[in-house]
Amino acid sequence: MYKALSRDRALFLWACRATRVRCRPHAPVKGGLAVISSDHVVHVAILGAGKGGTALLEALVNLPHVHLIGITDKNPRALGLQIAKFHHIPTSRSSIDLIQHPEVQLLIDVTDDPGMVSTIAQHKHPGTEVVGGMGAKVLWDFIQHGIMIQTQLFQAEKLAGLGTFASGIAHDINNPLYVILAMAETLQEETDLTLIRQHAVSIYQAAQRIHAISRNITQYAKASKTQSTANIDLHTKLDEALNIARFATKFHEITVKKQYKGQIEISAQPEEILQVFVNLMTNAIHAMEGKGRLTLTTEQTNGMVYVSIGDTGCGIPPENLPKIFDPFFTTKTNGLGTGLGLYNVRTIVRKYHGELSIESVVGKGTTFRLAFPQIPFPDMVAHDQN
Amino acid sequence: MSEATGGMFSGHKTNGRVLVMDDEADVRKVVRMTLEKAGYDVLEAEDGEKAIQEINKDENPLLLDVIICDIRMPKINGVEAINYFKQNYSHVPLIVLTGFPDTEMATGFLKQGIVDYLVKPVEKDRLTQAVAKAMEQRELNRL
Repeated sequence: MYKALSRDRALFLWACRATRVRCRPHAPVKGGLAVISSDHVVHVAILGAGKGGTALLEALVNLPHVHLIGITDKNPRALGLQIAKFHHIPTSRSSIDLIQHPEVQLLIDVTDDPGMVSTIAQHKHPGTEVVGGMGAKVLWDFIQHGIMIQTQLFQAEKLAGLGTFASGIAHDINNPLYVILAMAETLQEETDLTLIRQHAVSIYQAAQRIHAISRNITQYAKASKTQSTANIDLHTKLDEALNIARFATKFHEITVKKQYKGQIEISAQPEEILQVFVNLMTNAIHAMEGKGRLTLTTEQTNGMVYVSIGDTGCGIPPENLPKIFDPFFTTKTNGLGTGLGLYNVRTIVRKYHGELSIESVVGKGTTFRLAFPQIPFPDMVAHDQN
Repeated sequence: MSEATGGMFSGHKTNGRVLVMDDEADVRKVVRMTLEKAGYDVLEAEDGEKAIQEINKDENPLLLDVIICDIRMPKINGVEAINYFKQNYSHVPLIVLTGFPDTEMATGFLKQGIVDYLVKPVEKDRLTQAVAKAMEQRELNRL
C-alpha cells in the first residue's frame, strides 16, 4: 500500500500553493508543518488524465517547485493529455514508462484502476513516493474546494460590479417605461383607430426593450451551476458583454468598432468568458469617461484565438502597470471598482490556459490582448471513463 | 433638423414654444402629446447637435421659450448641450428630462440654474407644471 507520508507530502504541496507558502518537501514534517527551501523542485508524474488528472495537472502546472515529468492515460483523447501537450508536458498511453522514469520522485495515481497499485509496486523505483486511493481522493476534494472558493469570488465580484451599473440600467428601463405609461394613459381616451394601433406598437416595442434588458442582466448575474465547459461563439459573447458594459456610462458617445474575423469558438464556461469581457469593456468605458472609441478585434491563427479590447481613454500610468492585476488594487473612485475585476480576469484567462497582455499609453488609451489555445476538448463522457 | 413641428410659427395662439431634445423618437412623441394637449407648440431634435442647428435657424432664437433636454444623446450629449445653451441662450429656461435618477447630477444642474430635473417616467401633470414654471421664468427674463 502507499505510504501515508507520500499522501501528506502531496497534500502539503497543494496547501503550499493555496497559501503561497514556500515549502521544502523533504524537510522533516513536524505537526503537519515544515519549511521548504525555494531551490528544491519535486519531480511529479500523474497517472490518469481524466477529470482528476486534469484538475491535478492544472493545479500543479503553475507551481514553481513542481516539475511535471509527464501524464498518462489509456484514452488518447483524455482532456488532461490535450492540456499537457499545450504546456509541452510529455504524454503517454503507457503507464509503465512513466512509473519507471528515473527522475520521478512522486507518482500520483488517479486512474481509479485497482490493478494500477500492483503495477506501480512492481515497476517504481524504491525512492519514488506514491499518492493514490484515498489520498488521491482527498487531494481531489482539496482541489475542488479551491475551485469552489474561486467561483464564489468570481460571482461576488460580478454582483458587486452590477451594482455600479444600477444608474445605467435604470436609465435604459425608465425610457421605455415612460413611453409605456404615457401611451397607455393616452389610449384610455383615444378613439382614433389608427392612433390606437400606433400607440399599441410603441407600447409593445418599449416592453420588448425592457424584456431584453431584464434578460441580459439576469443571464449575466446568474451563478454558474456546473463546472462544465461548452463551445462558445466568441463574437456572440463579445456582443452580449457589450450589452451589459454599456450600462457603465451615463453618456451615449462611445463608438464601437468591431473587427471580427470569421466564426471563432473556444471551449470554456460561458459565464466566465462573459465576465472577462464585461470587466475589460467596463474598464475601457470608465477610462474613456463615456466618450471615445471601443475597438473589439478577434483573430484565429495557428491553433490560437486572439481577442483585443482597446479604448481611447486616459491610459494607465507606467508605475501602475505592474499592480493592475493585484487583488484589491483600484484607481477608481466613488465605489466604481472593487479592485478584483482584473485579478479575476487574469485568473479566468489562466484557467483556460490563456495569456493576457496589455499595452497602454497615458492620454491615448489601453488595449488588452487575450490569447487562448484552441484545445479540442472531448466530451465529458469520454474522459470520465478513467 | 430631424422632426421639426409644422405650424410652429403659423400664428395660432400658443402657451409657448418648447424644444424637446431626446434621441428616442417615442419619448419625443410622448412629450409632444402631453405638451400640445396643454397648449404648447413643440419642436423636436434627436440630439444636441441638431438642436443647436435648429435653434440658430431663422427666428427660432427669439421665438423659443423653453428647452427640455435629455442627458444621454449621441454627438453632443445633454451636459454639453446645456452648457452651450446656458452660454449662448441664457434667456431660455432649461428643463432636464432623463432616465437617470441621479441626485448628484440633479443637484449639479439645479445649481447651474436649471428650472427642473425630471426623471422618466414623469407624470403628465409634473411635466406641464415644470414647463409652466419655466414659462414664468421666461417671462421674467423678458423684463
